[in-house]
Amino acid sequence: MVALGVIACYAAIGLWVLGTDAAKRLGERTGWWSVPASPLLDALTVERADEVVGAPEIPGFGIRPRPEERVRIAQSYLDEFRKRVNIRVRNRAEADQRAADAIAGIRFAEATPPNWPIAEFRERIKAALDDLDAIAEVGEVDRHPELLPRIEKVERDIASMLVAPAGVRGMLYHARLALGTDRQGRSILVRAVYSIKVAIQIGLVVALVAVLFGSVLGAAAAFFGGWVDLAVVWLYSTLSSLPDLVLLGVLVFMFTGSIFDDVTKPWLSLVPIYAAMCLTFWIGPCRVVRGEVMKIKELEYIQAARAIGFGRAYILIRHALPNTLHLMFINFSLLFIAAIKNEVVLSFLGLGVKVGPSWGRMIQESTPQVINGFYWQIGAATVFMFFLVLAFNIVSDALQDAFDPKHVS
Amino acid sequence: MTAVDSAAAKATAASAEPLLRVEGLVKHFPVRGGVLNAVRGHVHAVNGVSLAVYRGEVVGVVGESGCGKSTLGKLVIRLIEPTRGTITYAGQEITGLGHADLMPFRRKMQIIFQDPFSSLNPRLTVAGLLKEAVRFHRVVPPGEVDAYVSGLIAKVGLRTEARGKFPHEFSGGQRQRIGIARALATNPEFIVADEPVSALDVSIQAQVLNLMTDLKTDLGLTILFISHDLKVVEHFCDRVLVMYLGFVVEELPCARLHERAMHPYTRALLGANPIDDPDDRRPLTILKGDVPSPLTPPKGCPFAGRCPQVIDRCRSEMPPLENKSDGQRVACWAV
Ligand SMILES: Nc1ncnc2c1ncn2[C@@H]1O[C@H](COP(=O)(O)OP(=O)(O)O)[C@@H](O)[C@H]1O
Ligand code: SF4
Ligand SMILES: [Mg+2]
Repeated sequence: MVALGVIACYAAIGLWVLGTDAAKRLGERTGWWSVPASPLLDALTVERADEVVGAPEIPGFGIRPRPEERVRIAQSYLDEFRKRVNIRVRNRAEADQRAADAIAGIRFAEATPPNWPIAEFRERIKAALDDLDAIAEVGEVDRHPELLPRIEKVERDIASMLVAPAGVRGMLYHARLALGTDRQGRSILVRAVYSIKVAIQIGLVVALVAVLFGSVLGAAAAFFGGWVDLAVVWLYSTLSSLPDLVLLGVLVFMFTGSIFDDVTKPWLSLVPIYAAMCLTFWIGPCRVVRGEVMKIKELEYIQAARAIGFGRAYILIRHALPNTLHLMFINFSLLFIAAIKNEVVLSFLGLGVKVGPSWGRMIQESTPQVINGFYWQIGAATVFMFFLVLAFNIVSDALQDAFDPKHVS
Repeated sequence: MTAVDSAAAKATAASAEPLLRVEGLVKHFPVRGGVLNAVRGHVHAVNGVSLAVYRGEVVGVVGESGCGKSTLGKLVIRLIEPTRGTITYAGQEITGLGHADLMPFRRKMQIIFQDPFSSLNPRLTVAGLLKEAVRFHRVVPPGEVDAYVSGLIAKVGLRTEARGKFPHEFSGGQRQRIGIARALATNPEFIVADEPVSALDVSIQAQVLNLMTDLKTDLGLTILFISHDLKVVEHFCDRVLVMYLGFVVEELPCARLHERAMHPYTRALLGANPIDDPDDRRPLTILKGDVPSPLTPPKGCPFAGRCPQVIDRCRSEMPPLENKSDGQRVACWAV
C-alpha cells in the first residue's frame, strides 16, 4: 500500500515534469503562453535543472562548508565576477552582454550569504558596483548617452538582488539550494527531481516495448512450434549467453556517431538507450511467456477452441495470451527497475543519458566529489532512486505472490 | 436409462449408413530426447481401432487410464492427426481435410472434456465463451445471439445470472454444465464426451448424466462416451467398446452386459464394479501384473501378462477382433 503510494507520488512528479516541460516547449513555439512567467510552473523544467543557481558544491540544508572551503568558494566566484565586470564596453551589444554577465556574476555571489559574513559580502558587492561605475566613467557613456539608463538598470538589478527574494520566488530560491549545488553550481534537488521523469520515461518505454515484444515472440514460438520456436530459442539463447551489461554497452556503443548521437536533439539521443535495453531485456518475458504458453497450449480450453474451429492466430491472441497477462505484469515491473538501474550503469560508463540530468549522470559526476567528502549529489541521486526501486520491488513481489498458483487454490 | 430407446436406435442403425465410421485408426506419439532431441521411440496410443457410430446412438469407450481413450476421442474429431487410418463422417472422409474444408464438420462435431477446471478459459465469461462460438459459426443471425446464448444457459440448467460470471465463480458440476453448453453452442449432431463426469462427486455425477440424457433425447445427439467406469457406461450407453493398450478388445451391446461379456479383460472390469453394490468401487488392481509399456507393445495379446486364461498362443500371436453373435466382437483366443 505504502509502496503504491510512493509509486503514485513518483508518477505524479514525473507527469508534472513532463507536462510543464512540454507546455513550455509548446508555449515557445506557438507564443500562446509563457511558462517562465509563472515561477511555479517553471520550477522543474530542463532549463531550471541545467541553470546555475549558486556557487559550486554548496552543501545541502544550509550546512556551512569548512572555513578553508568557504574561502576557496568565495575566491572563485569573486574572481569570476571581477573578470566579467572589468572589461571595457566597446559597443552597445557588448554593453548589454556585459551587463547581463555582471548580473549573472551577482547571482553567483547571491547564493553565498549563508556561507559568508554578510558585511564582507556587501563590501565586495559595493566594490563591484564601483567597477561598473568606472566603466561608465571611462567615457563610453559620454560618447553613448543612451547607455546611461542601461547602466542604471544594472545597478538597480544588482541592488535588488542584495535582498533575498520573497514570496513564491523566495520559497523556490531556498528550495533549489535545499540539497546544495553540484560542481557547476546547479541545484541538486531540481536535478534529482527532474531525473524522476527521465527514469520513468526510460523505464516505461523499455519495459513496455520489451515485454510486448518478448511476450508476443515467446507466445508465438510456443504456440506454433517448429522452426519458429527453434529460431526464437536460438536467438535468445545466443543473446543471453552474453552478459547483459556487455551486450548493453556494445549495443549503445554501436550508435555513437550515428544521427542519434546528437546532443541538440534530446529525444533522439535517448533512442540508443531504448533500443539497446529493449534488445537485451525482451529475453526474460519471452522465456517465461513461452514456457507458460507451452503449458496453456495443452489445456483443454485451447483444445475446445480448436474443436470449435477458430484459427490458430485467434486462439493465440484471445485464449492463450490473455492468460499470460499476470506474467507480463510481473515482468513489466521487473524490467522497469532493471531499465532504471541499467541507465545508471550506462551513464556511469559515459554511454547513458547525454542531454539533461539523470540519476546516472549525477552519480557519475559525483565520483570526484565523493573523494573530497562531498556526498550531497550522489546521496540525492541514490536516495531518489532507492525509494522508486524499493517501491517497485515490493509491488512486483506482491504481484508475484498474488499470481502464484500456490496461493490461488 | 437409455436402454429403452436403444432397441429402436439399433433397428434404424442396422440399415442406415453410420454417422461416424473409423477404420484402422493408428496414433503413434514420437518420444523425443537425448542429443539433438532425436525421436527415440513411439508411444503406441491407438493401435488400429475400427468402429461405427450410428445416428442417435450413444457408444461408450471404456478402459484403464492411459489406454488411449482420449487420444481416440481427439482423433475422431480431428483435434490430433492420425498416423494411419480413415475417419468418415456422414459418408464423407474427413481424414485429409484442411482447416477450411473441415469447418462444416467442426460445427457438427464437438467435445466435452473431463477436467472442469482446465476446460474453461478463466478469462472469458460464460456468455463470452458461448457467444464467441455462436458468432464464429453464424449459428443464428447477429441480432439473436443474446437470446440464443440465454437459451443455451437455461438448457444446461444454469441460472440467467451465470451469463456475466467467470468460470472460477462456479462449482465443478456447474463448470461441467458450462462445458456442455459450449459443446452445444454450435448446435452439433455428434459429441465426444471425454470422461465428462469422472472428475465430479458421485452425487453431482448423476445430475450431469441426467442432464446429458435429457439433452441427448431433446436434441437427437449422437455421443461417443468415454469413461474408465464401466458402470457409468453401462447405464448411459447403447453399445460399448472395451479398450486395452490402444486396442479394442471387445465390443458389445450394453443390454445384459454381465451375461454377454466374454473377453477376460471385460470380465475383470465387471468384477471391479459389482452391480449390486454401487458404493463398492474396488480399484482395477484386482488384476495382477502391469500394463505393458505403450512404447513397446507386445507381439501377442496385450492382455497376456495379466490374463487368468492365458494360453501359449496368446503370447506369440495377436488375437483378431472377431464377430460373435448380434453385434458383439471379441479379440481373444480363449473364446
Ligand atoms: N501428446 C502426447 N504426446 C505423447 N504421448 C501422449 C500424448 N497424448 C497421450 N499420450 C500417451 O498416449 C497414451 C494414451 O493416452 P490417453 O489417450 O490420454 O489415455 P486415456 O485417455 O485412456 O487415459 C498414454 O500412454 C499417454 O501417455
Ligand atoms: S487372447 Fe489370451 S491373453 Fe488375451 S485375453 Fe484372450 S486368453 Fe487372455
Ligand atoms: Mg483420458
